[in-house]
Amino acid sequence: MIKRVYKLYFIWQLDKEEVWINEMAAHGYSLVSCDRFSFDFEETEPGKYKYKTLFLRGRYHDKKNMDFFSFLDEVGIKVTSYIQYPGTCCIYTRALAEDYPNGIDVYSDIDSKISYEWTTFWYMLFCIILMSAGGLLNLSMFARHNALWILNYAVALLCFILALMCLIHLIKTLIKISKLKKERVIHE
Amino acid sequence: MPQQALTEAVYYILLSLQNPLHGYGIIQNVSELSNGRIKLAAGTLYGALNTLVDKGWIDALPENPLSRKKEYVITSSGTEILKEEIARLTELVDNGKRLMEGK
Repeated sequence: MIKRVYKLYFIWQLDKEEVWINEMAAHGYSLVSCDRFSFDFEETEPGKYKYKTLFLRGRYHDKKNMDFFSFLDEVGIKVTSYIQYPGTCCIYTRALAEDYPNGIDVYSDIDSKISYEWTTFWYMLFCIILMSAGGLLNLSMFARHNALWILNYAVALLCFILALMCLIHLIKTLIKISKLKKERVIHE
Repeated sequence: MPQQALTEAVYYILLSLQNPLHGYGIIQNVSELSNGRIKLAAGTLYGALNTLVDKGWIDALPENPLSRKKEYVITSSGTEILKEEIARLTELVDNGKRLMEGK
């Protein structure tokens, strides 16, 4: 039986989303598909699967990504769902907990981790530019005192708040990259 | 120009590919060779395999129609690189022992 849960996670909350999906799996609800606002879970033995969420560049169906997914499949990690965004996609993968008892690590070396964090960084930057442009556009319409000025004001405010949230995540990502680079000076 | 040090992951991948192996086999083999110390993650292994194929240090074998799993094997240039790395590591260890143990 499929249990549908409605929940909203923003794009910068992918790690938090992963923790929640793993908690659900630990309670016997394993994710089978999702979209931006809803998650479908199947009832399974508690803790049967471990989940990992990932940002990937490009479109889900790009050959580069499909090759990567078939490699993941070879090592027991299956893509259960994805959400496509402009220029990037969020991937939801799972593996049997008996194969990955400590959770799924997709990147184990520092260079791969840094490269992955840069993917997040550039996407956050793209979102900030997009949201700020949207905010400024609505603000300029608001300044013209047209009939929908309240709507323009609200949308502008929302865009700036989203841009700020992305900026906070971008700064956190930069701090992570900086720490990884320092680590790389000493360790592989 | 002297060869640059290989990463542990690349060193163990090359070492594992003396005989053809697929991705999961490499992960298991590296873990066994390092007594469980090195757990290669799938994304890291995937990136390393693609780079090694591009460099010509390993070959991707033609896909077996009975299995979807792609196998890889070390090439002669990969073997040369591995020998050079073993010589470099031996020098490191010898120097370390000589200075630390006064040999």
